[in-house]
Amino acid sequence: MDRSVRPRTVGPVNTGDGVLRLGSRSFGPGEFALMAIVNRTPDSFFDRGATYATDAAFAAIDKAVAEGADLVDIGGVKAGYGEPVSESEELRRTVDFVAAIRARHPDLVISVDTYRSGVARQVAEAGADLINDTWAGADPDLVNAAAEAGTGLVCSHVGGLSPRTDPHRMAYDDVVADVIRTTTALADRALAAGVRPDGILIDPTHDFGKNTLQSLELTRRLDELAATGWPVLVAVSNKDFIGETLELPPGQRGNGTLAALSVSAWLGARVFRVHDVPAARQALDFIAVLRGTAQPAGTRRSLA
Amino acid sequence: MPVVAAAVCPHPPLLVPEVASGAASELDDLRAACLAAVESLATAAHVVVIGAGSPRTYEAEAGGAFVAYGAPGVRVGSGPAVLPLSLAIGGWLLEQTKAAQLPRTYRAILADTAPDLCVQLGREIADSNDRVGLLVMGDGSARRSEHSPVHLHPRAEIFDTTVANALQHRDLDVLKALDPDLADELQAAGRAPWQVLAGALEGTSLSGDLTYEAAPYGVGYFVASFS
Repeated sequence: MDRSVRPRTVGPVNTGDGVLRLGSRSFGPGEFALMAIVNRTPDSFFDRGATYATDAAFAAIDKAVAEGADLVDIGGVKAGYGEPVSESEELRRTVDFVAAIRARHPDLVISVDTYRSGVARQVAEAGADLINDTWAGADPDLVNAAAEAGTGLVCSHVGGLSPRTDPHRMAYDDVVADVIRTTTALADRALAAGVRPDGILIDPTHDFGKNTLQSLELTRRLDELAATGWPVLVAVSNKDFIGETLELPPGQRGNGTLAALSVSAWLGARVFRVHDVPAARQALDFIAVLRGTAQPAGTRRSLA
Repeated sequence: MPVVAAAVCPHPPLLVPEVASGAASELDDLRAACLAAVESLATAAHVVVIGAGSPRTYEAEAGGAFVAYGAPGVRVGSGPAVLPLSLAIGGWLLEQTKAAQLPRTYRAILADTAPDLCVQLGREIADSNDRVGLLVMGDGSARRSEHSPVHLHPRAEIFDTTVANALQHRDLDVLKALDPDLADELQAAGRAPWQVLAGALEGTSLSGDLTYEAAPYGVGYFVASFS
Protein backbone atom coordinates (compact mmCIF):
# COMPACT_ATOMS: atom_id res chain seq x y z
CA MET A 1 0.00 0.00 0.00
CA ASP A 2 1.33 3.40 -0.94
CA ARG A 3 1.12 5.40 2.29
CA SER A 4 1.84 8.69 0.49
CA VAL A 5 -1.64 8.87 -1.01
CA ARG A 6 -3.53 8.20 2.21
CA PRO A 7 -5.81 10.97 3.43
CA ARG A 8 -3.79 13.40 5.45
CA THR A 9 -4.54 14.33 9.03
CA VAL A 10 -5.41 17.99 9.30
CA GLY A 11 -3.32 20.15 11.58
CA PRO A 12 -1.23 19.23 14.60
CA VAL A 13 -2.83 16.51 16.67
CA ASN A 14 -0.07 15.57 19.07
CA THR A 15 -0.51 18.49 21.39
CA GLY A 16 -2.90 19.22 24.17
CA ASP A 17 -5.09 16.92 26.20
CA GLY A 18 -6.35 13.54 25.17
CA VAL A 19 -3.18 12.45 23.40
CA LEU A 20 -2.46 8.74 23.68
CA ARG A 21 1.26 8.05 23.98
CA LEU A 22 2.56 4.55 23.38
CA GLY A 23 6.22 3.82 22.83
CA SER A 24 7.63 6.47 20.52
CA ARG A 25 4.22 7.22 19.01
CA SER A 26 1.55 9.79 19.92
CA PHE A 27 -2.05 9.54 18.77
CA GLY A 28 -4.09 12.70 19.10
CA PRO A 29 -7.84 12.90 19.48
CA GLY A 30 -9.41 12.15 16.12
CA GLU A 31 -6.44 10.09 14.99
CA PHE A 32 -7.12 6.38 14.58
CA ALA A 33 -4.49 3.85 15.63
CA LEU A 34 -4.52 0.43 14.04
CA MET A 35 -3.39 -2.62 16.00
CA ALA A 36 -2.58 -5.76 14.04
CA ILE A 37 -3.13 -9.08 15.73
CA VAL A 38 -0.21 -11.49 15.69
CA ASN A 39 -0.83 -14.70 17.56
CA ARG A 40 1.93 -16.85 18.94
CA THR A 41 -0.56 -19.52 19.76
CA PRO A 42 -1.11 -22.79 17.96
CA ASP A 43 -4.87 -22.61 18.45
CA SER A 44 -6.22 -19.09 17.77
CA PHE A 45 -9.91 -19.14 16.90
CA PHE A 46 -9.39 -17.16 13.73
CA ASP A 47 -6.08 -18.07 12.12
CA ARG A 48 -5.62 -21.49 13.73
CA GLY A 49 -2.00 -20.83 14.52
CA ALA A 50 -0.95 -19.39 11.16
CA THR A 51 1.62 -17.16 12.87
CA TYR A 52 2.70 -19.57 15.61
CA ALA A 53 6.07 -20.24 13.96
CA THR A 54 8.60 -17.46 14.46
CA ASP A 55 9.38 -16.83 10.81
CA ALA A 56 5.72 -16.68 9.89
CA ALA A 57 5.11 -14.27 12.77
CA PHE A 58 7.96 -11.98 11.69
CA ALA A 59 6.68 -12.00 8.13
CA ALA A 60 3.16 -11.20 9.36
CA ILE A 61 4.48 -8.23 11.35
CA ASP A 62 6.56 -6.88 8.49
CA LYS A 63 3.51 -7.11 6.25
CA ALA A 64 1.20 -5.48 8.79
CA VAL A 65 3.58 -2.56 9.23
CA ALA A 66 3.89 -2.12 5.49
CA GLU A 67 0.11 -2.13 5.22
CA GLY A 68 -0.40 0.60 7.78
CA ALA A 69 -0.46 -0.95 11.25
CA ASP A 70 0.62 1.39 14.06
CA LEU A 71 0.68 -1.31 16.74
CA VAL A 72 1.00 -5.07 16.89
CA ASP A 73 -0.66 -7.11 19.59
CA ILE A 74 1.24 -10.26 20.46
CA GLY A 75 -0.65 -13.03 22.16
CA GLY A 76 0.93 -16.13 23.65
CA VAL A 77 -2.25 -17.63 25.03
CA LYS A 78 -5.50 -18.26 23.21
CA ALA A 79 -8.18 -16.05 24.71
CA GLY A 80 -10.91 -18.63 24.98
CA TYR A 81 -11.02 -22.06 26.52
CA GLY A 82 -8.13 -24.27 25.47
CA GLU A 83 -5.01 -26.18 26.41
CA PRO A 84 -3.45 -24.84 29.60
CA VAL A 85 -0.46 -22.60 28.91
CA SER A 86 1.93 -22.25 31.82
CA GLU A 87 3.58 -18.92 32.61
CA SER A 88 6.94 -20.33 31.54
CA GLU A 89 5.46 -21.46 28.22
CA GLU A 90 3.85 -18.04 27.70
CA LEU A 91 7.18 -16.38 28.45
CA ARG A 92 8.89 -18.74 26.02
CA ARG A 93 6.43 -17.75 23.31
CA THR A 94 6.61 -14.00 23.85
CA VAL A 95 9.73 -12.50 25.48
CA ASP A 96 12.40 -13.22 22.88
CA PHE A 97 9.87 -12.59 20.18
CA VAL A 98 9.11 -9.10 21.52
CA ALA A 99 12.82 -8.32 21.74
CA ALA A 100 13.29 -9.42 18.15
CA ILE A 101 10.36 -7.28 16.93
CA ARG A 102 11.76 -4.31 18.80
CA ALA A 103 15.08 -4.80 17.02
CA ARG A 104 13.39 -5.10 13.61
CA HIS A 105 10.89 -2.23 14.05
CA PRO A 106 12.23 0.46 16.41
CA ASP A 107 9.13 2.70 16.16
CA LEU A 108 6.42 0.07 16.09
CA VAL A 109 4.19 0.08 19.17
CA ILE A 110 4.33 -3.42 20.63
CA SER A 111 1.37 -4.59 22.68
CA VAL A 112 1.33 -7.90 24.50
CA ASP A 113 -1.94 -9.61 25.23
CA THR A 114 -1.42 -11.11 28.69
CA TYR A 115 -3.17 -11.24 32.03
CA ARG A 116 -0.06 -12.29 34.00
CA SER A 117 2.05 -9.71 35.81
CA GLY A 118 5.13 -11.92 35.52
CA VAL A 119 4.81 -11.96 31.75
CA ALA A 120 4.07 -8.24 31.63
CA ARG A 121 7.28 -7.40 33.51
CA GLN A 122 9.48 -9.46 31.24
CA VAL A 123 7.95 -8.42 27.91
CA ALA A 124 8.15 -4.78 28.99
CA GLU A 125 11.83 -5.24 29.62
CA ALA A 126 12.12 -6.84 26.18
CA GLY A 127 10.57 -3.76 24.57
CA ALA A 128 6.77 -3.98 24.87
CA ASP A 129 4.98 -0.61 25.08
CA LEU A 130 1.47 -1.68 26.02
CA ILE A 131 0.00 -4.44 28.17
CA ASN A 132 -3.34 -5.58 26.78
CA ASP A 133 -5.01 -7.09 29.83
CA THR A 134 -7.97 -8.76 28.21
CA TRP A 135 -9.01 -10.36 31.50
CA ALA A 136 -9.82 -7.16 33.34
CA GLY A 137 -7.29 -7.20 36.14
CA ALA A 138 -7.63 -10.88 37.02
CA ASP A 139 -4.04 -10.63 38.25
CA PRO A 140 -4.11 -7.67 40.69
CA ASP A 141 -0.36 -7.17 40.36
CA LEU A 142 -0.59 -6.43 36.62
CA VAL A 143 -1.19 -2.69 37.13
CA ASN A 144 1.97 -2.51 39.22
CA ALA A 145 3.93 -4.20 36.46
CA ALA A 146 2.68 -1.62 33.93
CA ALA A 147 3.36 1.25 36.33
CA GLU A 148 6.90 0.09 37.11
CA ALA A 149 7.77 -0.55 33.47
CA GLY A 150 6.16 2.67 32.19
CA THR A 151 4.02 0.83 29.65
CA GLY A 152 0.45 1.64 28.72
CA LEU A 153 -2.40 -0.56 29.90
CA VAL A 154 -5.68 -1.72 28.37
CA CYS A 155 -8.50 -1.95 30.91
CA SER A 156 -11.11 -4.40 29.76
CA HIS A 157 -14.50 -5.76 30.76
CA VAL A 158 -15.28 -9.44 31.04
CA GLY A 159 -18.31 -9.38 33.29
CA GLY A 160 -16.49 -11.04 36.16
CA LEU A 161 -15.31 -14.05 34.20
CA SER A 162 -12.13 -15.87 35.13
CA PRO A 163 -9.44 -15.97 32.45
CA ARG A 164 -10.06 -18.34 29.56
CA THR A 165 -13.64 -19.20 30.41
CA ASP A 166 -16.61 -18.64 28.16
CA PRO A 167 -19.68 -16.66 29.16
CA HIS A 168 -22.85 -18.44 30.07
CA ARG A 169 -26.15 -16.63 30.54
CA MET A 170 -24.47 -13.35 31.34
CA ALA A 171 -27.04 -10.82 32.51
CA TYR A 172 -26.75 -7.04 32.88
CA ASP A 173 -29.36 -4.47 33.79
CA ASP A 174 -27.49 -2.19 31.39
CA VAL A 175 -24.43 -3.69 29.74
CA VAL A 176 -23.04 -0.30 28.68
CA ALA A 177 -23.30 1.08 32.20
CA ASP A 178 -21.62 -2.04 33.55
CA VAL A 179 -18.78 -1.74 31.03
CA ILE A 180 -18.28 1.93 31.80
CA ARG A 181 -18.32 1.30 35.57
CA THR A 182 -15.86 -1.59 35.35
CA THR A 183 -13.39 -0.21 32.84
CA THR A 184 -13.22 3.27 34.32
CA ALA A 185 -12.74 1.79 37.81
CA LEU A 186 -9.85 -0.26 36.42
CA ALA A 187 -8.46 2.83 34.72
CA ASP A 188 -8.68 4.81 37.96
CA ARG A 189 -7.01 1.98 39.81
CA ALA A 190 -4.23 1.89 37.18
CA LEU A 191 -3.79 5.64 37.54
CA ALA A 192 -3.57 5.32 41.32
CA ALA A 193 -1.00 2.54 40.92
CA GLY A 194 1.15 4.89 38.87
CA VAL A 195 0.41 3.85 35.28
CA ARG A 196 0.98 6.76 32.88
CA PRO A 197 -2.33 8.62 32.39
CA ASP A 198 -1.61 9.07 28.67
CA GLY A 199 -1.11 5.32 28.24
CA ILE A 200 -4.38 4.00 29.68
CA LEU A 201 -7.11 2.69 27.36
CA ILE A 202 -10.49 1.15 28.01
CA ASP A 203 -11.85 -1.77 26.00
CA PRO A 204 -15.49 -2.91 26.15
CA THR A 205 -14.16 -6.32 25.09
CA HIS A 206 -16.93 -7.52 22.78
CA ASP A 207 -17.92 -11.18 23.21
CA PHE A 208 -16.02 -11.57 26.50
CA GLY A 209 -18.64 -12.11 29.17
CA LYS A 210 -21.34 -11.02 26.74
CA ASN A 211 -23.88 -12.51 24.45
CA THR A 212 -24.30 -11.20 20.93
CA LEU A 213 -27.14 -8.83 21.78
CA GLN A 214 -25.00 -7.30 24.50
CA SER A 215 -22.01 -6.85 22.17
CA LEU A 216 -24.30 -5.24 19.60
CA GLU A 217 -25.61 -2.87 22.25
CA LEU A 218 -22.04 -1.90 23.14
CA THR A 219 -21.28 -1.19 19.50
CA ARG A 220 -24.45 0.84 19.06
CA ARG A 221 -23.71 2.94 22.15
CA LEU A 222 -19.95 3.23 21.86
CA ASP A 223 -20.20 7.02 22.07
CA GLU A 224 -21.09 6.61 25.75
CA LEU A 225 -17.76 4.89 26.35
CA ALA A 226 -15.90 7.54 24.38
CA ALA A 227 -17.59 10.21 26.50
CA THR A 228 -15.71 8.92 29.56
CA GLY A 229 -12.64 10.66 28.16
CA TRP A 230 -10.51 7.51 28.22
CA PRO A 231 -9.28 6.42 24.77
CA VAL A 232 -11.40 3.47 23.68
CA LEU A 233 -9.90 0.36 22.08
CA VAL A 234 -12.26 -1.91 20.19
CA ALA A 235 -11.51 -5.48 19.21
CA VAL A 236 -14.42 -6.61 17.08
CA SER A 237 -12.47 -8.36 14.36
CA ASN A 238 -14.19 -11.58 13.23
CA LYS A 239 -15.79 -12.10 16.62
CA ASP A 240 -18.76 -14.35 17.33
CA PHE A 241 -21.23 -11.48 17.77
CA ILE A 242 -20.60 -10.61 14.12
CA GLY A 243 -20.82 -14.27 13.13
CA GLU A 244 -24.10 -14.79 14.96
CA THR A 245 -25.55 -11.56 13.65
CA LEU A 246 -24.86 -12.53 10.04
CA GLU A 247 -24.84 -16.30 10.52
CA LEU A 248 -21.32 -16.60 9.14
CA PRO A 249 -18.31 -18.68 10.20
CA PRO A 250 -15.00 -17.04 11.23
CA GLY A 251 -13.57 -16.99 7.71
CA GLN A 252 -16.47 -14.96 6.34
CA ARG A 253 -16.85 -12.17 8.88
CA GLY A 254 -14.61 -9.59 7.21
CA ASN A 255 -17.39 -7.38 5.86
CA GLY A 256 -19.31 -7.46 9.12
CA THR A 257 -16.07 -6.63 10.92
CA LEU A 258 -15.64 -3.51 8.79
CA ALA A 259 -19.20 -2.43 9.50
CA ALA A 260 -18.75 -2.81 13.26
CA LEU A 261 -15.34 -1.16 13.13
CA SER A 262 -16.65 1.76 11.08
CA VAL A 263 -19.54 2.46 13.41
CA SER A 264 -17.16 2.25 16.38
CA ALA A 265 -14.79 4.72 14.74
CA TRP A 266 -17.64 7.07 13.91
CA LEU A 267 -18.80 6.95 17.52
CA GLY A 268 -15.35 7.77 18.89
CA ALA A 269 -13.20 4.65 19.28
CA ARG A 270 -9.50 5.40 18.78
CA VAL A 271 -7.59 2.12 18.68
CA PHE A 272 -8.71 -0.83 16.54
CA ARG A 273 -7.46 -4.38 17.00
CA VAL A 274 -7.82 -6.21 13.68
CA HIS A 275 -6.75 -9.19 11.61
CA ASP A 276 -7.14 -7.57 8.17
CA VAL A 277 -4.93 -4.49 8.28
CA PRO A 278 -5.38 -3.06 4.75
CA ALA A 279 -9.17 -3.29 4.91
CA ALA A 280 -9.32 -1.64 8.33
CA ARG A 281 -6.81 1.04 7.31
CA GLN A 282 -8.94 1.99 4.30
CA ALA A 283 -12.11 2.12 6.35
CA LEU A 284 -10.47 4.21 9.09
CA ASP A 285 -8.84 6.56 6.60
CA PHE A 286 -12.23 7.09 5.01
CA ILE A 287 -13.96 7.71 8.33
CA ALA A 288 -11.26 10.16 9.39
CA VAL A 289 -12.15 12.22 6.32
CA LEU A 290 -15.88 11.91 7.02
CA ARG A 291 -15.28 13.12 10.56
CA GLY A 292 -13.23 16.02 9.26
CA THR A 293 -9.98 15.11 11.00
CA ALA A 294 -8.27 14.32 7.69
CA GLN A 295 -8.68 15.62 4.17
CA PRO A 296 -9.31 13.56 1.04
CA ALA A 297 -6.26 12.34 -0.83
CA GLY A 298 -7.48 14.46 -3.74
CA THR A 299 -10.75 15.97 -4.98
CA ARG A 300 -10.98 16.62 -8.70
CA ARG A 301 -14.35 15.27 -9.73
CA SER A 302 -16.55 17.99 -11.25
CA LEU A 303 -14.11 20.72 -10.20
CA ALA A 304 -12.01 21.21 -13.33
CA MET B 1 -4.63 56.41 -20.24
CA PRO B 2 -5.41 53.07 -21.85
CA VAL B 3 -4.88 49.61 -20.52
CA VAL B 4 -1.30 49.40 -19.24
CA ALA B 5 -1.22 45.69 -18.40
CA ALA B 6 -3.46 42.68 -18.82
CA ALA B 7 -3.54 39.09 -17.59
CA VAL B 8 -5.56 36.08 -18.73
CA CYS B 9 -6.29 33.28 -16.21
CA PRO B 10 -8.66 30.28 -16.04
CA HIS B 11 -11.13 29.86 -13.20
CA PRO B 12 -11.62 26.21 -12.21
CA PRO B 13 -12.63 25.76 -8.55
CA LEU B 14 -9.68 23.35 -8.33
CA LEU B 15 -7.33 26.33 -8.47
CA VAL B 16 -8.20 26.92 -4.80
CA PRO B 17 -6.10 24.40 -2.83
CA GLU B 18 -8.77 23.87 -0.18
CA VAL B 19 -11.14 22.71 -2.91
CA ALA B 20 -8.59 20.33 -4.44
CA SER B 21 -7.59 19.02 -0.97
CA GLY B 22 -4.84 16.44 -1.43
CA ALA B 23 -4.78 17.00 -5.21
CA ALA B 24 -3.86 20.68 -4.82
CA SER B 25 -0.23 20.17 -5.75
CA GLU B 26 -1.24 18.90 -9.19
CA LEU B 27 -2.08 22.48 -10.17
CA ASP B 28 0.91 24.13 -8.49
CA ASP B 29 2.34 25.16 -11.85
CA LEU B 30 -0.95 26.66 -13.06
CA ARG B 31 -1.43 28.51 -9.76
CA ALA B 32 2.10 29.91 -9.95
CA ALA B 33 1.60 31.01 -13.56
CA CYS B 34 -1.66 32.77 -12.65
CA LEU B 35 -0.12 34.57 -9.70
CA ALA B 36 2.85 35.72 -11.78
CA ALA B 37 0.53 37.07 -14.47
CA VAL B 38 -1.69 38.83 -11.91
CA GLU B 39 1.35 40.25 -10.13
CA SER B 40 2.22 42.12 -13.33
CA LEU B 41 -1.01 44.12 -12.97
CA ALA B 42 0.48 45.91 -9.96
CA THR B 43 1.90 48.57 -12.29
CA ALA B 44 -1.63 49.81 -12.98
CA ALA B 45 -3.65 52.30 -10.92
CA HIS B 46 -6.95 50.42 -11.11
CA VAL B 47 -7.74 46.77 -11.77
CA VAL B 48 -10.78 45.64 -13.74
CA VAL B 49 -11.68 41.96 -13.49
CA ILE B 50 -13.76 40.51 -16.34
CA GLY B 51 -15.47 37.14 -16.25
CA ALA B 52 -18.56 35.21 -17.22
CA GLY B 53 -21.69 35.62 -15.10
CA SER B 54 -24.97 37.52 -14.86
CA PRO B 55 -24.19 40.99 -16.21
CA ARG B 56 -23.30 43.25 -13.32
CA THR B 57 -20.59 45.49 -11.96
CA TYR B 58 -19.26 44.87 -8.45
CA GLU B 59 -17.16 47.13 -6.28
CA ALA B 60 -13.80 46.21 -4.78
CA GLU B 61 -15.16 44.91 -1.49
CA ALA B 62 -17.64 42.51 -3.12
CA GLY B 63 -17.42 39.07 -1.56
CA GLY B 64 -16.89 35.70 -3.13
CA ALA B 65 -16.93 32.24 -1.57
CA PHE B 66 -16.17 28.63 -2.41
CA VAL B 67 -18.52 26.97 0.04
CA ALA B 68 -20.68 25.92 -2.91
CA TYR B 69 -17.77 23.85 -4.17
CA GLY B 70 -17.02 22.27 -0.80
CA ALA B 71 -14.53 24.69 0.75
CA PRO B 72 -16.40 26.73 3.39
CA GLY B 73 -13.23 28.22 4.81
CA VAL B 74 -12.14 30.22 1.77
CA ARG B 75 -13.58 33.56 0.71
CA VAL B 76 -12.56 36.83 -0.86
CA GLY B 77 -13.63 40.41 -0.27
CA SER B 78 -15.54 41.61 2.74
CA GLY B 79 -19.15 41.79 1.61
CA PRO B 80 -21.74 39.05 1.17
CA ALA B 81 -20.64 36.35 -1.28
CA VAL B 82 -22.12 37.64 -4.54
CA LEU B 83 -19.32 37.18 -7.08
CA PRO B 84 -19.78 34.50 -9.74
CA LEU B 85 -17.11 31.80 -9.84
CA SER B 86 -15.02 33.47 -12.55
CA LEU B 87 -14.76 36.76 -10.63
CA ALA B 88 -14.36 35.07 -7.24
CA ILE B 89 -11.31 33.22 -8.57
CA GLY B 90 -10.06 36.51 -10.02
CA GLY B 91 -10.44 38.22 -6.64
CA TRP B 92 -8.84 35.26 -4.89
CA LEU B 93 -5.79 35.55 -7.18
CA LEU B 94 -5.58 39.33 -6.83
CA GLU B 95 -5.63 39.17 -3.04
CA GLN B 96 -2.44 37.12 -3.10
CA THR B 97 -0.46 39.71 -5.09
CA LYS B 98 0.75 43.28 -4.77
CA ALA B 99 -2.15 44.25 -7.04
CA ALA B 100 -4.42 43.56 -4.04
CA GLN B 101 -3.75 47.13 -2.86
CA LEU B 102 -5.18 48.73 -6.00
CA PRO B 103 -8.72 50.01 -6.46
CA ARG B 104 -10.69 47.24 -8.14
CA THR B 105 -13.87 46.78 -10.16
CA TYR B 106 -15.46 43.49 -11.15
CA ARG B 107 -17.47 43.17 -14.34
CA ALA B 108 -19.51 40.08 -15.19
CA ILE B 109 -20.81 39.50 -18.72
CA LEU B 110 -23.00 36.75 -20.08
CA ALA B 111 -21.00 33.93 -21.63
CA ASP B 112 -23.11 34.25 -24.79
CA THR B 113 -22.65 38.01 -25.25
CA ALA B 114 -22.28 38.84 -28.96
CA PRO B 115 -18.67 39.38 -30.08
CA ASP B 116 -19.16 42.98 -31.18
CA LEU B 117 -20.66 43.89 -27.80
CA CYS B 118 -17.72 42.24 -26.07
CA VAL B 119 -15.25 44.24 -28.16
CA GLN B 120 -17.25 47.39 -27.47
CA LEU B 121 -17.09 46.76 -23.72
CA GLY B 122 -13.32 46.33 -24.01
CA ARG B 123 -13.01 49.69 -25.71
CA GLU B 124 -15.11 51.33 -22.98
CA ILE B 125 -12.91 49.89 -20.27
CA ALA B 126 -9.82 51.16 -22.07
CA ASP B 127 -11.36 54.60 -22.42
CA SER B 128 -10.49 55.55 -18.88
CA ASN B 129 -8.49 58.27 -17.16
CA ASP B 130 -6.89 55.60 -14.99
CA ARG B 131 -3.98 53.36 -15.80
CA VAL B 132 -6.07 50.22 -16.10
CA GLY B 133 -4.86 46.70 -15.36
CA LEU B 134 -7.22 44.15 -16.90
CA LEU B 135 -7.67 40.67 -15.43
CA VAL B 136 -9.51 38.47 -17.90
CA MET B 137 -10.95 35.24 -16.51
CA GLY B 138 -11.71 32.53 -19.03
CA ASP B 139 -11.49 28.78 -19.58
CA GLY B 140 -10.90 26.95 -22.83
CA SER B 141 -13.04 24.06 -24.01
CA ALA B 142 -14.39 21.65 -21.40
CA ARG B 143 -14.47 18.94 -24.10
CA ARG B 144 -10.79 18.38 -24.67
CA SER B 145 -10.47 14.67 -23.84
CA GLU B 146 -12.29 11.41 -23.25
CA HIS B 147 -12.07 12.22 -19.54
CA SER B 148 -13.33 15.79 -19.86
CA PRO B 149 -16.30 16.97 -17.80
CA VAL B 150 -18.22 17.05 -21.10
CA HIS B 151 -17.47 14.40 -23.69
CA LEU B 152 -14.64 14.87 -26.18
CA HIS B 153 -15.43 17.14 -29.11
CA PRO B 154 -13.23 16.69 -32.20
CA ARG B 155 -12.89 20.46 -32.70
CA ALA B 156 -12.02 21.30 -29.09
CA GLU B 157 -8.28 21.01 -29.37
CA ILE B 158 -7.95 23.07 -32.53
CA PHE B 159 -10.20 25.75 -31.04
CA ASP B 160 -8.04 25.96 -27.93
CA THR B 161 -4.84 25.98 -30.00
CA THR B 162 -6.23 28.88 -32.02
CA VAL B 163 -6.91 30.81 -28.81
CA ALA B 164 -3.48 29.99 -27.39
CA ASN B 165 -1.72 31.22 -30.52
CA ALA B 166 -3.83 34.38 -30.61
CA LEU B 167 -2.93 35.15 -26.98
CA GLN B 168 0.76 34.42 -27.54
CA HIS B 169 0.92 36.60 -30.67
CA ARG B 170 -1.60 39.21 -29.57
CA ASP B 171 -3.69 38.47 -32.60
CA LEU B 172 -6.73 40.60 -31.76
CA ASP B 173 -8.47 39.82 -35.04
CA VAL B 174 -8.45 36.10 -34.32
CA LEU B 175 -9.83 36.67 -30.82
CA LYS B 176 -12.59 38.92 -32.16
CA ALA B 177 -13.48 36.33 -34.80
CA LEU B 178 -13.99 33.43 -32.35
CA ASP B 179 -17.37 31.92 -33.21
CA PRO B 180 -19.80 32.20 -30.27
CA ASP B 181 -21.86 29.21 -31.40
CA LEU B 182 -18.82 26.98 -31.71
CA ALA B 183 -17.49 28.22 -28.36
CA ASP B 184 -20.86 27.38 -26.81
CA GLU B 185 -20.83 23.92 -28.36
CA LEU B 186 -17.29 23.37 -27.10
CA GLN B 187 -18.20 24.78 -23.67
CA ALA B 188 -15.38 27.30 -23.80
CA ALA B 189 -16.42 29.83 -21.13
CA GLY B 190 -13.61 32.24 -21.99
CA ARG B 191 -14.76 33.32 -25.43
CA ALA B 192 -16.65 36.47 -24.39
CA PRO B 193 -14.04 37.71 -21.85
CA TRP B 194 -11.25 37.15 -24.40
CA GLN B 195 -13.14 39.30 -26.89
CA VAL B 196 -13.43 42.03 -24.26
CA LEU B 197 -9.64 41.76 -23.98
CA ALA B 198 -9.32 42.13 -27.75
CA GLY B 199 -11.31 45.37 -27.67
CA ALA B 200 -9.36 46.71 -24.69
CA LEU B 201 -5.95 46.07 -26.26
CA GLU B 202 -6.76 47.78 -29.57
CA GLY B 203 -5.22 51.12 -28.71
CA THR B 204 -2.15 49.67 -26.99
CA SER B 205 1.17 48.25 -28.04
CA LEU B 206 1.20 45.63 -25.30
CA SER B 207 2.61 42.30 -26.43
CA GLY B 208 1.46 38.88 -25.32
CA ASP B 209 3.26 36.15 -23.45
CA LEU B 210 1.49 32.79 -23.09
CA THR B 211 2.97 31.22 -19.94
CA TYR B 212 0.68 28.23 -19.48
CA GLU B 213 -1.34 26.13 -21.84
CA ALA B 214 -2.61 22.69 -20.85
CA ALA B 215 -5.75 20.68 -20.18
CA PRO B 216 -4.72 18.51 -17.21
CA TYR B 217 -8.31 17.49 -16.46
CA GLY B 218 -9.71 17.81 -19.95
CA VAL B 219 -10.56 21.53 -19.71
CA GLY B 220 -8.31 23.98 -21.55
CA TYR B 221 -6.46 26.39 -19.27
CA PHE B 222 -4.45 29.37 -20.54
CA VAL B 223 -2.39 31.93 -18.69
CA ALA B 224 -1.12 34.96 -20.57
CA SER B 225 0.42 38.28 -19.68
CA PHE B 226 0.28 41.48 -21.72
CA SER B 227 2.87 44.11 -20.95
